[in-house]
Formats: sequence, structure tokens, C-alpha cells
Amino acid sequence: MKMPFAALARARMAAWVRRRQGPDVLPATLARRRLYILPTRAGLAFGFLWILMLLAGLNYGNSLALFFTFLLAGFALVAMHECHRNLLGLTLVSVDAPALFAGSAGVLELVLQNPAPRTRPGVQAALDDGPLAGVGLPPRARARLTLPLAPARRGILRIERLRLTSSHPFGLFRTWTWVHLPIEVLVYPQPCGSLPRPITSGHAAGLSSRGGSGLDEWMGLRPFRDGDSPRQVDWKAYARGAPLLVKEYRPAGADLCLFDFAQLRIPDVETRLSQLARWVVDAEAGGERYGLTLPAVVLAPNRGPEHRHRCLAALALHGIEAPAASAARAAAMAPLHA
Amino acid sequence: MPERQDYRALLWAIAALAGGLLLHIDRLPAWVWVAALVLVSWRIAAARSRVPLPGTPARTLLAVAVVIAVLARFHTLNGLPAGSALLVLMAALKLLETHRRRDRLVLVGAGLFLLLAACLDRQSLARAPLYLGEAWLACAALAVIASDGFPGRAALALAGRTLLLAMPLAVLLFLFFPRLAASFWSVPRGEEALTGLSETMSPGSIGKLSTSYDVAFRARFEGELPANEQRYWRGPVLHDFDGTTWTRGSEGGRPRPALEFAGRAYRYRLALEPSRLHWWFALDTPAQSPDPGVTLTHDYELLASRPVSDPISFEALSYLATRSAAPLGGWERHENTDLPRGHNLRTVELARDLRARAASDAAFVTATLDYLRSGGFVYSLEPEALGTEQVDDFLFRTRTGFCGHYASAFVVLMRAAHVPARVVTGYLGGEWNPSGGYLVVRQADAHAWAEVWLEGRGWTRVDPTAVVEPERLQRGAFDLLSESMPASTRLLRAAPWLVHMLQRWDAANAWWNDRVVRFDYATQLDVLERLGIRSPDARTLGWAFVLVLLTWLGVIAWYLGRSMRPRRPDAIARAYALLCRKLSRTGLVRAPHQGSLAYAEALRARHPSLAEDAHALLAQYARLRYGAPEPATRARDIEAFAGAVRRLRIARA
Repeated sequence: MKMPFAALARARMAAWVRRRQGPDVLPATLARRRLYILPTRAGLAFGFLWILMLLAGLNYGNSLALFFTFLLAGFALVAMHECHRNLLGLTLVSVDAPALFAGSAGVLELVLQNPAPRTRPGVQAALDDGPLAGVGLPPRARARLTLPLAPARRGILRIERLRLTSSHPFGLFRTWTWVHLPIEVLVYPQPCGSLPRPITSGHAAGLSSRGGSGLDEWMGLRPFRDGDSPRQVDWKAYARGAPLLVKEYRPAGADLCLFDFAQLRIPDVETRLSQLARWVVDAEAGGERYGLTLPAVVLAPNRGPEHRHRCLAALALHGIEAPAASAARAAAMAPLHA
Repeated sequence: MPERQDYRALLWAIAALAGGLLLHIDRLPAWVWVAALVLVSWRIAAARSRVPLPGTPARTLLAVAVVIAVLARFHTLNGLPAGSALLVLMAALKLLETHRRRDRLVLVGAGLFLLLAACLDRQSLARAPLYLGEAWLACAALAVIASDGFPGRAALALAGRTLLLAMPLAVLLFLFFPRLAASFWSVPRGEEALTGLSETMSPGSIGKLSTSYDVAFRARFEGELPANEQRYWRGPVLHDFDGTTWTRGSEGGRPRPALEFAGRAYRYRLALEPSRLHWWFALDTPAQSPDPGVTLTHDYELLASRPVSDPISFEALSYLATRSAAPLGGWERHENTDLPRGHNLRTVELARDLRARAASDAAFVTATLDYLRSGGFVYSLEPEALGTEQVDDFLFRTRTGFCGHYASAFVVLMRAAHVPARVVTGYLGGEWNPSGGYLVVRQADAHAWAEVWLEGRGWTRVDPTAVVEPERLQRGAFDLLSESMPASTRLLRAAPWLVHMLQRWDAANAWWNDRVVRFDYATQLDVLERLGIRSPDARTLGWAFVLVLLTWLGVIAWYLGRSMRPRRPDAIARAYALLCRKLSRTGLVRAPHQGSLAYAEALRARHPSLAEDAHALLAQYARLRYGAPEPATRARDIEAFAGAVRRLRIARA
């Protein structure tokens, strides 16, 4: 495939920067040699205005016009240094990304530290060339910056590089640096699908002793979550002005569910994983015990946030990594919030 | 609250624009800044309370209307006054569509452009702080616009500090940046004349000028000054009289009559203030043209090809005594004896009478002056109005007048008796400024006198005013007629200390004009020479320039960066870091959250065989860092700890 020239140049540039700087380790302190600086569009316009002023001053031999032209030249040069120093010595303390569902909005959280006795206003960060998020750092203080993540596909989201940048104080220059960290965000499959949860009777599983009535048991209402089936939404309540609520039923007589990848009759793997994720999420919300069987992984029935994470991680990494590595990764990427 | 921040940024952009506008306030027609004010208020109202802003068609219409209005007023879009007016109005219109950061930046740019236009317009010392203030305001506005919610006071402080740091570079560039010898492009400047002598004179016109305290020019003499009564500064020479007004008359490339100069040669440097007129002034009779662009006319006037719109200074050479042996040509005799026929008959009769009783033209001049001296004439700035027969009315009824009246009446008397005579306008006097060591001549010193052609002597100066009011030769009209002067001017001369202070201020202005405003290529070479660089070539200068620029950049980088670099860790921390690095060779790296004692425990568990020194050192670190201070031995302890760490040997695992 032929890449457009600009994209190719950008890729080359990124590779060069990565080679030049080497991989980073946290905490990363921004040294002089890795800070880049260029004029912004406003800076270029300022330069154009400046050239006009210089020409007019020279043309008329007008001393005062020339003096102010030179003063503005000095101003721009000092502004360049002021912009540069706004990032100089700044420390990126940590980067943290809780696992999230594909198709939902999550965040990458950066913690920055300002070791200097001066404020650093307008420090911004972005994923590669994504939208900027900004924060001001008081002297000798830390600040948190969150960058939005919205992965479309399940699996591992690798963030090649982060950009720390600032155009403070006059917006004439923008200084920036690239941070190369092994950031990997676990992306669960989007919980989606409306198939009924397989009712695995306790008897069939040989694990439950409670008799089933054959009817679903009314459990109550809970707020709508992405991927909930529209059939379960309490539309009457919604029509009365309540928020979107979902009617929840517990399969009668079963507080144990076994979800098996192989038994699902859905041809598309991704859709199948989404359905499994849906069930895992619902089962956990319903306070049930559930187990998951994937071609490569078998997770015994259990419950709790950790179990949920293990199940969802296994779904996320299905077909991507070998089971052993996958288990280690799942452990490493355990969610912060239980 | 982004909206609130946007509003603040908008206000700052408006402030930068308004600052530029204020620099031009006295130059722009009132409707321009009233229109700008309306547009600004409209925009502020829209930002505060949802007053609707005009749509694109309305804005386009407004823009077209602005262009038409400017064209109607100035008849051009080119040139400083029209350009500034257009810039002000267009920037104010731009305000109506200011929604994004870029639009606000455009307003700041317009403010800076107005600053440039103001510099091109006027460069006086008194205005320089205003210009600096506008530059400061614009830079602070940049900071507020660039960073959302940057507090105004902090922006001002930041912009101020940045400009201060930029000042050394600005001065260096000002001194050493190469200047152009000639301009490559020309935009017409304002044509409206400032105060100054015009090319016509009616008896009352000079009196109007006399209330102005503005400086006309300054003169610095080499050696002796001319005496008070000889400080006649020659300006336009007027020949034609239509009964009320004197004009220069026909031009024509007439040859300049040769003159014999006698007596002392006065060499001086004369610095003209901008007047937007073509006249350069010189003491009495200039011997040569001081500049290729200036003609020494047949009347020995200095007439420049371009108006004086910036301060100018030039070297001049003058003589106070001249002689012309050649006879007056027929045409000149006719031109200088011509009078409107059938007017001022009593004056004509008086002249013929006086001439008939005199033995020669020179005696006739003396007799006429005697008539004026003894006729009860009064020197006054506020004479009665004259009727249609101006000279008759003045000589026989009012007998009150200013220099213009006397010069005019005297020349009419001469011409009535067929003695060639003409009116010369210019300045008389000059106040010595002890602070600056120069003579300062003000507009109030404007004067008119007469020149009479006498056989064997040529054109001879006669000042009828000096006969009526001999004091005028010694003192300016200010002191003689102070009751006719405006109160503000009288106040300026009220106390000696005030006069002294104003002289100091004037000397500062003279210095400013001399050293800053007129700083050009020649001055540049002068400065370099004084620094010991003789006839520098472009390359040496270029290298010196680059060197100086880099040095300055280095100093700035160091100065700004010094507080931002992380502080160097102290001796204990450095030794501890080395210790941890050495211990990590065992394969057990200290985790960031691990304290030194916890690390020691972990090491002991993993590598029981490890030298006891290592554990002792980790414990030592904890004691030094967190233990009770022992000031007496602390320095030695740290030294010992660092030494021990250096000596520690750990084998790689």
C-alpha cells in the first residue's frame, strides 16, 4: 500500500525520534535535549507582521519603528525560551489506564510533577497527535491529567507514544516532547447481544441443590448499560420520565451459570465474544456465580470483581495471546477499582 | 467556565486595539473613533447580554461603507492618515466576528500595526512611553489570549518581564542593525501642516503663531553666538501684495545674485522640528545649500524638495553682512515696487512726501523709521481690525499692530516711493538653553521684517518693529506681550525653576531627536568608531552581530532555565543512589516505594551471604537522612558514608 507523503514523513519522523530518544522509564524527567520547539501559526503570523514592521522601519529610516521592531524580536526570542522552560525539568510520574470496554469511553491518567519553585501553567498532553488536555502545575506540586480513550476493538490497545506540550506563555511557540512508554490498555469486548443467559440448572451442573420453578425470578430494576437488550428496558417507566432502566430477571433456580464459547451458535467470533461479555457483566451484576469456557482457557465458576476481570480479560485476549501470557497479562492489568 | 474566559480574552484584545487607537486620537477625524467606539460597545454588549451581532451580509455592507467613508474623507486609501483610519475601522469591524482565538489575535496585530503607524507619524520623546505602554499592553493581551484564564495582572507582569529581558537585544540591534541609505518604497504621509510659518502673510497671521510655545528649531553654534539683535532666521521672502496678503510671487528659475560675504562666518548645526512644510531655516544669509535636496533660492531662502515630516538636522554656514555690487534687474525692480493701484492713497502721499524731503533712498528709509518711531505706534498682539484700505487704516487710524503690520506698512511706503522693498518672514531671537548648550527658537519667535534695495549695498535688512518696540530685539514676544498669551503658556514661564526644568526637558528632547530619532548609517559608523572599530567590513560586523546575539540568547536561556532544572541531589542522596546502583548488581533492584531498611531486609533474605557492609551502609543512610542531627560530626559522617559506598565491591549476580 502506498502511503501518502505526509503520513510517510510523519512515520519516518516518529521512528527517528524514537531512535534518538530511546525508550523511557517512569518517572521521566524532561531534559533539554528531548524538548522540541517550533513557532505556532500565531507565531508565524507574528513573524510576518514583524517583517512588515522591519521593512517599514528600514524604508523610512524611522528609528522608533525600528526600535519597537527590535524590541518585539527580542520579545519573541525570550518568549521562545519561556515556552521551552515551561516543560524543562517537568516529570511524568505515572501513566495509568484502567481496563475498559470496546466502544465505551475511558481515560488514560497521567500524573505530572513540577519539581521547580515556579508555576507551570498550560501544560498539555495528548495521545500521539490526538486532542490536547491541559493542566496548570503550581510550584513543587503534582497534577493529574486525563486523556480520553475510545477504543473500537477489543484486545490490547498499545499507545505508541505520548506527547507532552505547551504553548505558554504567549502562544507564539509550541514546545513538545514525545514519551515512549510501554503503555498497554486492556480492552474488553463490547458487552452486546440479546440471547438469554443459558440456564444451567444446578442439577445439570451438579452444583446446586435448589429446586427451580422454571420461571424467571424478578430481581428489580437497574440503570441501562451499553449493550443491554432493548427488550429488557422498562419502557413504561421511561415514558413516565424515569431514566432508562432495565428489568432484571434471574434465571429461576439457578445461581450458577456456565458460559461456553463452543456452545454459542453465533458464527462471528467477535459477536460471540460480545455476547459472552454481556452475560459475564449481567451475571456479575446479578450476584451470580459464573464460569467461562473458552477454547484455550477454562475459568471455574466464581464471582467478584477480580473474577469478572479475569473472565473479561480472557475474552479480550481470545485468539490474541497464548493462554499463559494472557493470564499473566490479565493479572498485571487488574483494574484499580475493585 | 470557558465563556467567561473568552470574554476576558476579548476584552484584552479590545484593550490592545484601543491602545493603538489612542495613539492616533488627535490625528483621526472624530467620526472614525466614534464609529470605532460604537462597534466596540456593540461587541461588548453582545458578549454580555446576547445583543445580536450582524450577519455576514450586514458586515460586508458595513465594510464597504467604511471604505467609502474613508475614501470620501481622505480621497485615498494610501498614506498614513487614511491607512490608520481604515485600519482602525476595519479592526473594529473585525470585532463583530471575533469568536475564536485567531480573531482576537488579529485585533492585537492591528494594535501593533497602529503602533507602527504612530511611530512613522511622530517620534517625540514625550510619546515614546505611550508607545512602550501600547507594546506592553499588546504583549500582555497575547498572554491572556493564548492561555485560557490567565490572570490579567500576571499577564502584565509576564509581558513586562519579557520585554525587559528583550530590551538589551533591542538596544544592540538598534545600534548595529544595518540601515538603508535610501527608501525603496514611499507611502504619502499626512499632508496637514503642523504649526509653522506659511508661504503667505497677512498682517495678523504671524500674531496667531506667536501664542504657540512649540519649538521651531534648535541651533548649536561652533564658537561664538550671534548677538541677540542679530538672530534673524530667514524664511520665505514675499514679493507680491494684493492689498491684504503678501505672497511669494512668481517662481521661475531665476539665477541667484552673487553676494559678497563679509565679517564673521557662523557655522552651526540646526535641528528642525517636523513642520510638514518645505522651508528650512538659516541664520540671516546662508552661504550655501546644506543638503542636495534643498535649493538655495535667488532670495537666499532654503527650500526643500520634500516637506519636513521628521526631525532633520543639518550643518549650515551663514554671514550677517552681505554686499551686492551688481545692479537690480529691470524685472526685479518692477516686481519689488509693484503695488495694487488706487489703494492706500494717503500712504502713497505720505511716502512721496517723505521721499521728496530725503536726499537719498537711505535717508528716506531713516526718515520713514523716524516717522514710525515718533508717530505713536503701539506694539500689540491684539490690534483692532483693519478696514479695506488696510495700510491707510493702520498708519493713520489704529496705529496698533504686530510685526506683520509694521513690515507690511513699511514695504508699502518704500514701494510707493519707488524704492524696491520686500517682506521677509522668519524668526527673530532664540533662547539660550544652558542644559543643552544650544539656542532654542520657538514658533512664538516668528517675525516679519523688510528688506530694501539700496544702490551699492544690495538688499539691506530693515526691521520697522524694532523701531516701535526696541525691546523685541532682546526679548521674545512672550515676555513683551505676556498678557496676550494664553494662560497655559504664561504658566510655563511663571517661575524661574519651572523655566529651568522646561529647559532641561527641552534638552532631553534635543538629545532624543539627535541621538535616537536621527540615528542613521552615519551615526552608526560613528558609534562603531568610538568602540574602536574603524571602517568595519560587512563580514566582521556580521560575525560580531551573530556572536552578540548568541551570547544574549545564552544568557537568557540560562537566566530563565535556572529555576526550572531539577535541583542537584545532595551528597547523601548521591551516595545513596550509587549504593543502590551497586546493590542492584545482586539482581535485587530497590523498588521505588522501598525504604532503605526494607531494602536491607529484602537483601538479607535473598542473599544472606552478602557482605555485612552493605546492610550497615543502608542503615547508615537511614540514620544520616532521618536520624537526630549531630551538627558536630555531620559533615565528617557524610564524607565517611560516601567514601565507604565508593569502596564497596559487589559482584555481579
